[in-house]
Amino acid sequence: MKFIKTHISLIFPLVAILLGLEFFIVFDRTTDSFEKSLQNGYSMMIVSKDEMSIDDFKAWDEHIEKVEELEKSKILERLKMTESSKQKSFEASLPNFYSLKLDGYLTLEELESVKNNLKKSNNILTIESFQSSYQSKYELFSFIKSAFQTFIFFMSIIGFFLIVKQMEVWNFLHAQRMKVMEIFGASLFLRSKILINMALIDAIISAIITSGVFYFIQNAWVRGSQIEILKENVDRMFTYSDLFILLFASIFVVMIAVFLVVINVKEE
Amino acid sequence: MSNVITANNLTLGYENDEEIIKDANFSIKKGDFVFITGPSGSGKSTLLKSFYGNLSPQEGSLVVGGLDMIDIKKNKLQELRSHLGIVFQDYKLINEWTVEKNVVLPLWISGYSAEVQSTQAKRLLHHVKLSGKEEKYPMELSGGEQQRVGVARALAKNPFLILADEPTGNLDEYSSNVIWDLMENACHQLDTTVVVVTHRIPMVFNIPYRHFTIDENGSVYEIH
Repeated sequence: MKFIKTHISLIFPLVAILLGLEFFIVFDRTTDSFEKSLQNGYSMMIVSKDEMSIDDFKAWDEHIEKVEELEKSKILERLKMTESSKQKSFEASLPNFYSLKLDGYLTLEELESVKNNLKKSNNILTIESFQSSYQSKYELFSFIKSAFQTFIFFMSIIGFFLIVKQMEVWNFLHAQRMKVMEIFGASLFLRSKILINMALIDAIISAIITSGVFYFIQNAWVRGSQIEILKENVDRMFTYSDLFILLFASIFVVMIAVFLVVINVKEE
Repeated sequence: MSNVITANNLTLGYENDEEIIKDANFSIKKGDFVFITGPSGSGKSTLLKSFYGNLSPQEGSLVVGGLDMIDIKKNKLQELRSHLGIVFQDYKLINEWTVEKNVVLPLWISGYSAEVQSTQAKRLLHHVKLSGKEEKYPMELSGGEQQRVGVARALAKNPFLILADEPTGNLDEYSSNVIWDLMENACHQLDTTVVVVTHRIPMVFNIPYRHFTIDENGSVYEIH
């Protein structure tokens, strides 16, 4: 009971911080792949008078990564122009059609800027950016992303304040011992050894609890979930390397807390 | 005999405060037993604090155990303190540790084995008449018993210098006598230097001693 009482007050805020961190890592991974799929699924349609190469497009805007020319014959096929003589003369009179892929999932402003840059070319007749579809996807994605980041931020802030509170408790509990030890010639390390040991145990327990929570979420919930984005990334939700990231972060936070407590204990 | 403490034109004071000890000159030799007396607020405890590096001299020089106490480096100060025995009026025991663990604190700091620590704790607790109280906690003892634990701790590593600040200030006669006997023995048998700050020198004292006094102006004199 005493063990639980001593440790829970640090484990609780540490787990809050670690959950925030792991949520951030997982969210970053899953949104990254979602962002890539959105990026792959998006292309801009260009109509030009003369033929243009990738370098011609890049000269107008650096965000253009890939250019695919749409064959005129296939366009005519779609229009059901099958008579050979008519097709040939019509094909010769058609402009050139291109599908452009961009180098990332751009913001609406960046997309507008790409469009404006391309408009400067006299050779380009029409630009179709499918902006309304892009905009709705982009705004939903941005909203989810910022809502989640705000949640993680506040979770970390609460964790931080709870740790500061715990540091005050530590100061109250350990200052007398550390002062006496200092008078008898104990080094800084020796004075803080008891606190370091306790904090390390709490850091390890917190990292294991947080990993356990994510392992449970991954295996007991996400695998059976119908949410596409989660199902696709189920194996990336929690990896064993995350345990080490959490352990490192947890130890880093507690060591800073211990250090701040120890250096603030002044001999009377 | 070599000097354990040497003060030359020593001036002590706290930051933004007036000088408390002014221009003191004295030396304390190995095996000396020294009482420092003086009125309340004259600077007795301040002088004692400077001997274990809790307060740095403002002017003059102070050498303790061969180390210059002005701007002394942390590691040197730790080394010096690990060879001192310090006794406080308010005991300064670690309340969450047992009596035995408190007594062997200096040995633990110096990395002595658990076996040595245990043997030494038993021996010292026998000397301070606290055998059988090894597993008690300080708060379970009387003031006199706590101070005897403090003295046992000060003697744990056979220090070359014992510094005691009002060690019998609030104690009953029995505990006071045990403490004076222990300090006399340490000085007489082990040639340990002992410096005691006190309001009153005990009526019966069995070994020769030196008596320093501090007046209201912070001047230190030796009374012969």
